[in-house]
Amino acid sequence: MISPAGERNQAYGLIAPATLALAGVAAYPVLASGWLSLHRLILVFREQRFVGLTNYATLLGDARFWSALAHTSSFAGIAVSIELAVGLAFALLLDGVGRGKSILRAAVLVPWAMPTVISAKIWAYLLNPESGAFGRLLPGVDWLGTPVDAMAAAILLDVWKTTPFVALLLLAGLQSIPAPVYEAARVDGASAWMTFWRVKIPLVRTSILIALLFRTLDAFRVFDSIYVLTQGGPANATETLSIYTFKTMMRSGDFGYGSTLAVATFLCIALISIIYLGVFRAGFGERA
Amino acid sequence: MSKRVRHDRPVPRLRPALDRCTGLEWSAARRWATAFAVISLVAALAGCRRSNGGLNDASGRVRLVFKYQPLGPDPTAMRRLIADFERAHPEVEVVSEVLPNDSDTAHQYFLTALEAGADLDVFVVDIIWVQEFARAGWIADLSPAFPGEAIRRDFIPGAAEAVLSNGRVFAVPWYADVGVLFYRSDLVPRAPKTFAELEQFADQARRKDPSLHGYLWQGRQYEGLVCNVFEAIWGHGGDTGGGDPLRIDTKPARAALGHLRSLLEKGLSPASVKSASEEDSRRLFQSGRGVFMRNWPYAWEEAQRPDSIIRGRVGIAPLPALDGIGHGTLGGWQLAINARVPPRHRDAAIQLIEHLTSTESNRVLAREYGRHPPRRAFYRDAQSAERGLSPALYPLLEAARPRPATPYYNLLSDALQSEFSAAIVGIRSPEQALARAQQQIDRISGELR
Repeated sequence: MISPAGERNQAYGLIAPATLALAGVAAYPVLASGWLSLHRLILVFREQRFVGLTNYATLLGDARFWSALAHTSSFAGIAVSIELAVGLAFALLLDGVGRGKSILRAAVLVPWAMPTVISAKIWAYLLNPESGAFGRLLPGVDWLGTPVDAMAAAILLDVWKTTPFVALLLLAGLQSIPAPVYEAARVDGASAWMTFWRVKIPLVRTSILIALLFRTLDAFRVFDSIYVLTQGGPANATETLSIYTFKTMMRSGDFGYGSTLAVATFLCIALISIIYLGVFRAGFGERA
Repeated sequence: MSKRVRHDRPVPRLRPALDRCTGLEWSAARRWATAFAVISLVAALAGCRRSNGGLNDASGRVRLVFKYQPLGPDPTAMRRLIADFERAHPEVEVVSEVLPNDSDTAHQYFLTALEAGADLDVFVVDIIWVQEFARAGWIADLSPAFPGEAIRRDFIPGAAEAVLSNGRVFAVPWYADVGVLFYRSDLVPRAPKTFAELEQFADQARRKDPSLHGYLWQGRQYEGLVCNVFEAIWGHGGDTGGGDPLRIDTKPARAALGHLRSLLEKGLSPASVKSASEEDSRRLFQSGRGVFMRNWPYAWEEAQRPDSIIRGRVGIAPLPALDGIGHGTLGGWQLAINARVPPRHRDAAIQLIEHLTSTESNRVLAREYGRHPPRRAFYRDAQSAERGLSPALYPLLEAARPRPATPYYNLLSDALQSEFSAAIVGIRSPEQALARAQQQIDRISGELR
């Protein structure tokens, strides 16, 4: 037999690999970015100088940062709202389908399964005002050449691509509702509308929250689709925080200020997570 | 609800089970595991370093790593060039490595690889990177082997200017590119010399066939837009070469942006120009729907393909100007040497660059890959004059202008791209956009000096 102390040591030993892995891939990069963000470090000039919070002061006065933040927030807000509405509709439809469910489910998933860069390229062709299908359907709309339309195009692409993910999560939630619940609702004389609002929605609330959490975090750090579509143009109208960070770091080689932008993005995402987790806790607290 | 049943049976403990499985004492197993982990970590770290410290293979030959972008679908001619070098220098072995074709991606690679001390000896640099890499200390001063006077004498002026920094040479021009005007020789009487002529010719052609687009160029927010706008500025008599910080808020620049915007407003250029890069313009022109196009000479090869519907109906000319001659933006690639290579390698690397940038190699690249030689000697040679596009491009290359030679070009370009784009799509007037661009440029060069 082993002493309790030995057992505790064994437990530490067992969680050590996971802890190390997490520290290596999550904690270290975040801390390193935080440390870099306190420096002036521009590769071209071969100097690394500790400057304290100077970069953060610059950030607060940087109009480009605020507009990137606004673009990112509006992109995430609008895209995720539409995805939730359309995804829920899809989930309800799929839940109601009798035959061919698996084929339908697979078909719905296709956009989500495609690599983002490839779907963005395809959309760029579709949106081309000269040769694209959208150009023919809506002549006169210059999707990628006008600030508002370019943002709309980016949102459209995101909705097309990730609605399946939301639909699938919600479908799983809907299917976990036991049949007797519906029977009880029917016996009580609930209309379809009431069943939807009083039975389905409350019971898939957790799924909705999970879908929202995933999607919001994902949309907030959007990079690849917009970078392929517009590279942040025209006139920086589709420049998100990730694109601004990428350009600052990887194109200009300004690792100090680039890290500051990365930390700012991280803080925004942490804030969103905290809010969602608060909502979760409130939700679960209610139920208990 | 019933209470959950408690298990009376003790939960089996893992450690004795593990010991039984391995037949080892736990502590011994742990020691082995730790040792294994440490060894693999050390091995992995060692692997990140150069694979052999001496850089020379067993036979004592110098091993040179040469990194460049694929020049075309068939690597044979390039391989032969390198094999020729190895035959002439039996003590050197050249290892070629391929870079991504996209300039931005290649830049990103170098930014991280050179800073981390990657195993590279000779590599290509885009014309806009030379100053940056020189300032960062990533590429070696080649002046002893390639003196500035020789570079100025032997190469087209734009390319020579781009590789010189404070009188020292940091790279040798390998092949050059220049922004040019393509026109449909079946639709217009001749190449237009002025902006007014271009508009007039385009209008005439469009009156006969309204489905035609007058003038195609690149207005997407990216490096190509900077080239297009600079060309318009030069065409309006502006100068972007002299002085640091760059003066961009000038009368010619305001006129240039106003001119580009007016092309869109008049419908002479289609709205798609605002989101077009080179290939978008090229495809539209290739489909026979454009009268004029600004692009790089590669579009010529495409237009002359056997299945091209505009084959034989396309001309190449200098870009138009307000009056006088227009200037194209100079592009192209140079060869440089990693500043960290040891002396013995440096000599071999210099010899490799001498070989690859020779007139003879220039000729091979022109013939096999349609890359235009920056060396003046190539054009004086009767042999070269016979075929290919390069000889026709020579006057354009001579007149081509480089983008501002500054170590923080990428920062400048980033600021210019968004403001130029704002003026092109019409959300800011040229005056506002240029004032904002100037502000950012002044801030950048003030901060970075």
